[in-house]
Amino acid sequence: MSQEEGRRSPPSRRKFLAAGLAAAGGVLLSGLFVLRDGLMFLFPPPKEKRFVKYLVAKADEIPMGRAKEITIANKPVFVAHLPEGFRVFSGVCPHLGCIVKWKEREKQFYCPCHKAFFDKDGTVLAGPAPRPLDEFDVRVEGSLVFMSLERSEGGMKL
Amino acid sequence: MKLKDWILERFPINYERFVEINEKVFIKEPIPLHYKKWFFATGAAPLILIALQIVTGILLMFYYIASPEAAYESVRYISQEVRFGFWIRGIHRWGSNLLVIALLLHMTRVFFTRAYRRPRELNWIIGVILLGLSFGLSLTGYSLIQNQVSYWATTVGTNSVNAIPLIGKPLLQFLRGGEEVTANTLTRFFTFHVTLLPPLLLLFMFVHIFILRLHGMAELEGKEGEGSYAFYPEHFFKVIILTLFFVATLSTLAVILPPGLGEPADPSTTPAVIKPEWYFYPVYIALKLMPMHIGMSVLMILGVILVFWPFIDEFVKRRAPKLRLNYIVGTIAILTFLTVTIWEIIV
Repeated sequence: MSQEEGRRSPPSRRKFLAAGLAAAGGVLLSGLFVLRDGLMFLFPPPKEKRFVKYLVAKADEIPMGRAKEITIANKPVFVAHLPEGFRVFSGVCPHLGCIVKWKEREKQFYCPCHKAFFDKDGTVLAGPAPRPLDEFDVRVEGSLVFMSLERSEGGMKL
Repeated sequence: MKLKDWILERFPINYERFVEINEKVFIKEPIPLHYKKWFFATGAAPLILIALQIVTGILLMFYYIASPEAAYESVRYISQEVRFGFWIRGIHRWGSNLLVIALLLHMTRVFFTRAYRRPRELNWIIGVILLGLSFGLSLTGYSLIQNQVSYWATTVGTNSVNAIPLIGKPLLQFLRGGEEVTANTLTRFFTFHVTLLPPLLLLFMFVHIFILRLHGMAELEGKEGEGSYAFYPEHFFKVIILTLFFVATLSTLAVILPPGLGEPADPSTTPAVIKPEWYFYPVYIALKLMPMHIGMSVLMILGVILVFWPFIDEFVKRRAPKLRLNYIVGTIAILTFLTVTIWEIIV
């Protein structure tokens, strides 16, 4: 076999470019898949949300204008008996997630982290909170007060 | 065969050349005369303290357990039962505080002497990155104890990134490992604290010192050609003295004022008085006094100004050559920082 026959003819510039681009595209595409997999690994899968009815009080145990504090999933909620009916407020400050306290003398909720104050109906009185205290849906059935609570596989969530 | 020859046979480098480079780069490096003043040793201080943090940090990892149920108990065990545990933890804890002070002093010195001026602007920016990494290490560090301050600092710290436009929410989930502060958050903070941030810090520190050596130490503005002295022995021993000073000071602080444990984390109750570490007081005040988006925006704008300060200063200097903007801004910044910090300590 002569040398000429043994050597393959060099690819045309067009073919070389096409092959190069295809290879680069392939590498880029697989890179994107790896990146996607990596991101999926770093972000835990979202849990399926289900809402459950949760008994929080008997209607006659909280007098008008008073509230009861209970702890659910390690966080407090306040069941308040207001003129418009029963309302359930989250005890988690909507500013940066600290736990608010009820100040009986001032009739206010107070967050110790950044000094946010809320009225007894959850509205912002002073401080940096961007919105009123979060509220849960309430349903009164007979003499029982229920709240709607998100429940995921890991347990209750507030 | 001598040991030197034995090694050189297996590691064949040009020994004479190696000695020559070593002399040029380290031993005979010219140091401008004004570096004989101690205030100009503030660049070596963070280097020494970071080395101490690495050693004590590795030792603490022998006992620390990164789980919400066991973390607090493991820190208690280190502090109260392990022999010299309180001392190692004390040095690590006080070291982090001194590191922040040393970095702030170093920045102050560079800022007031305009040592960041052309061509050293990039090294200033790397310095700001190093400061940010150090704050990241501090926050993730004191979050590991799993006491009340840890838990609420983690909650507030991660919640505040939520205010960053567009990437806030995913960043919050990335930092927490979900939507809530859970075991995932603690293991993530531990990972950041021991495996991600320290190598980044070392990398940027290496580049910082490399650029410094390429340019040589900055001369004082207006006093160029003041003369110089060799790194070895005078400056070298200055660093050794500084190291001994830090070891002695940290050791004393660890013995006299050992860091406490605080109350164990309780997600259902925020203590009546809760504050972050002193160096985060300016951020804390901003979050307290301003709505979150405005507060975060102000902090981000200040951060951008800090990063690009050498260029801003140069821009102003070209238009108003006599105005010492760095003196004015530096003084205002220091006075504000001190006022805010002392105010929060007293109140």
